[in-house]
Amino acid sequence: MDNPKMEVSIVQLRGITKRFPGLVANDSINLEVTRGEIHAIVGENGAGKSTLMKILTGLYQPDGGEIYLNGTRVEISGPRQAIGLGIGMVHQHFMLIPRFTVLENIILGSEPARRGVLKDKEARGLVEELCRRYDFKLESQVRVWDLSVGQQQRVEILKVLYRGAEILILDEPTAVLAPQEVRELFVNLRNLKGQGKTIIFISHKLDEVLEIADRISVLRRGRMVGTVMAKETDKRQLSEMMVGRPVFLKTEKSQPRVGEERLKVKDLTVLGNLGRPAVRQVNLTILAGEIYGIAGIEGNGQSELIEALMGLRKILSGQVLIKGQLTSDKSVQEIRALGVGYVPEDRHRRGLILPMMVWENAVLGLHRLRDFSRPTGLNFKNIFAHTNRLVREFDIRLGSVDLPVRNLSGGNQQKVILAREMSRDPGLIIASQPTRGLDIGATEFVHQQLIKAREQGRAVLVVSADLEEVLSLSDRVGVIYNGEIVAEFRPEEVTPEEIGHYMLGTKSLLREGVGA
Amino acid sequence: MRKRSKYLLLEIASPFLAIFFAVLVGALVILAIKKNPVEVYRTMFLFSFRRLDSLAIILFGATPLIFSGLAVAVGFKAGLFNIGIEGQYLIGTFLAALVGFAVKGLPAFIHLPLVILMAMVGGAVWAWLPIYLKVRRGVHEVISTIMLNYISYSLIHFFIAEVFMDKQQGLAPGVGNPLIRLPKIASTALMPKMHGFLSLFGIDLPDHVYLNWFFPLALLLAVGYYFLVWRTPFGYELRAVGQNPAGAEAAGIKPGAVFFKAFLLSGAIAGLTGLSDLLSYFGYMDLDFPRGYGFNGIAVALMGKNGPLGIVLAALLFGFLNRGAEGVQAFVGVPMDTIVILQGVMILSIVVFSEVMGRFIRQQEKKEGLQGSVVL
Repeated sequence: MDNPKMEVSIVQLRGITKRFPGLVANDSINLEVTRGEIHAIVGENGAGKSTLMKILTGLYQPDGGEIYLNGTRVEISGPRQAIGLGIGMVHQHFMLIPRFTVLENIILGSEPARRGVLKDKEARGLVEELCRRYDFKLESQVRVWDLSVGQQQRVEILKVLYRGAEILILDEPTAVLAPQEVRELFVNLRNLKGQGKTIIFISHKLDEVLEIADRISVLRRGRMVGTVMAKETDKRQLSEMMVGRPVFLKTEKSQPRVGEERLKVKDLTVLGNLGRPAVRQVNLTILAGEIYGIAGIEGNGQSELIEALMGLRKILSGQVLIKGQLTSDKSVQEIRALGVGYVPEDRHRRGLILPMMVWENAVLGLHRLRDFSRPTGLNFKNIFAHTNRLVREFDIRLGSVDLPVRNLSGGNQQKVILAREMSRDPGLIIASQPTRGLDIGATEFVHQQLIKAREQGRAVLVVSADLEEVLSLSDRVGVIYNGEIVAEFRPEEVTPEEIGHYMLGTKSLLREGVGA
Repeated sequence: MRKRSKYLLLEIASPFLAIFFAVLVGALVILAIKKNPVEVYRTMFLFSFRRLDSLAIILFGATPLIFSGLAVAVGFKAGLFNIGIEGQYLIGTFLAALVGFAVKGLPAFIHLPLVILMAMVGGAVWAWLPIYLKVRRGVHEVISTIMLNYISYSLIHFFIAEVFMDKQQGLAPGVGNPLIRLPKIASTALMPKMHGFLSLFGIDLPDHVYLNWFFPLALLLAVGYYFLVWRTPFGYELRAVGQNPAGAEAAGIKPGAVFFKAFLLSGAIAGLTGLSDLLSYFGYMDLDFPRGYGFNGIAVALMGKNGPLGIVLAALLFGFLNRGAEGVQAFVGVPMDTIVILQGVMILSIVVFSEVMGRFIRQQEKKEGLQGSVVL
């Protein structure tokens, strides 16, 4: 990485303030981005990163402060004007039309045309020239549905370049990528930088930020904590800046003391929503006292697998045994009664009833237990005692248990779920994306709880798109690709790169019995 | 239901503001037809509240709406939109009438409950098909219940006019036309009026008032509705499924089963809607048996925000407006339709005001919730 030339700042934000009812999302933020640098903006969820970028792309209007581009003051009224000024945003969730080709997706919305007739050749020439110039390996005539996630992201970046962006904002671009794809993305970004483009890179993954960025700005609770040179800082300092206190980055855990078989999956095949098998012939066994992690790029059958285990999705063939009992003819309720705690991947859809009160959510699924109700009535006294105990034990921060759970922060919502699921003393815990969208503090807490559960002799199944998380938590790791468990490891046996190969399907060890 | 007292005042205030707003709009309408709004509203009030018979008629008029409002609300709470109250109560009323005239010789304490039970069975049966189609086949209940309403109209017509029509109405040959109606219901199945009971307290209602024991029964049902929905585990499941079926399912509640029970219950309550008219006012069912209680019940539930007290109050408001309309038509010469306009504006503004207020309260709660969690 060469030093950015210290010219005039291409972007300068002065005293940007944005208020929402009840909170200040951006509190007089100053930021300078130099032309041709990769500038990372890090911060926990809710620190105000997205708000700041939405102000820069004109999606929000600031309540105070000024924006300067190349030294001139500008008012940005919307995304269209932002791109006119050379500011383009690459969103975390792709906005592509799958059945269109790469070319069609890129030119969509600003097609070169004469008298309403598309100038096909010219468009194609333009796009292929872009690919050449920035060394993007993409076929312009391929349909987007045939592309990998990494390639789709390249299309998104090209879309922005095609519209003449000089400043590219990338919102959590690595969240959806496998390690190899991250590396390719970084190559692309360095190319762009070499051609004089400026990149603003939003992330909370500190390793990546340290690798790719020239300078790093840290936001915390709506305020700018500071900007540091990537070369002169490290992970520990950054996470302290982000959280405001020292953080334990390594999850400590003892040797596993495993016991009997808690979950056994035999040749399980499950259909996805499109009627095709989403889970194919999966075999796995989880013992009491261990954490089994499933790594994989999202959409490779993880969700369907978990739903099948919980009885929420029909099993096409194969068997699931929980504590030695076949679950195929059991309802969700009966499966849970076997002692299964479930932390769903989508906590708003599956884990909570958002408009209902915290205390109502604290007994969701437990409400028929003798302690909490008779058919004639709920036992409010016990329910509240239970809720208050959970709030205490799990340190759930809330104004009142008698408010809708929707009002809690993401971390506290997850704590409500975790507390509830742990309270029925489960022998098996199934946690899907347990820290998705949580800040560092809450993530730390969830990890500690899962490890504590393991130490108490529970079996834990963790599914996560975050490879680092899976590797640091698990005693054994299975890699899922295209609905199959293609490899099984102990985390210390492999490098993330190797796992990445399996995640991408470029390598397979299917049913060779490696690991456990 | 536990409520934070802080916002209770706001929530109570919002419908009154809305009513006030509607009254202003109504005044403009009255001015447009060149009448004096002050006089019209004054007449409405005095006619409704200064006369004992008016008060009783308001209660009588509110009775079917409390039933239909509660029926709609039970569905709403489970996330189901039962537009089929209309058909369900007509079928329920018909079955009740059938058992009312066809079964004879039973003592009243058996016959009357049996008739009431039949009305509930009728309503539930008519609710069964749409919910079966929804749960098993994914047919939206709004579509199927609307269709079943039309089927019920025709079916009732067929049964009354073709099958069970009373041919011996005791008219002298050649005098008048016989009504197209079912035979009269046996006296053992009729619901007594409240006159006797009220006279114990020195309240003497005139004979043209039909206030009967279905009114206290409706109030009782509203109380029961409260207990069921907010105090029992079934009610808890009902609300959980209504607000997030996927979340409830993951917690081990079967949304399909809850939908079924809730909808059948809604139908059963709907079946009671027509009984106050049938077993007290008419004493028989004819082709012109009152319609529209089902649709008004939707408005009542909406205005009452699906709460028991709100539903009772909204039903009483409807009763008052209807009675008041008769008053202004008779004494000030303002057509009843004006009051219908007022009703419409009132429903709209109450719904809008309560939505706006709800948003404000949610925002306040959000602040409150965040206060506790700034550290994380």
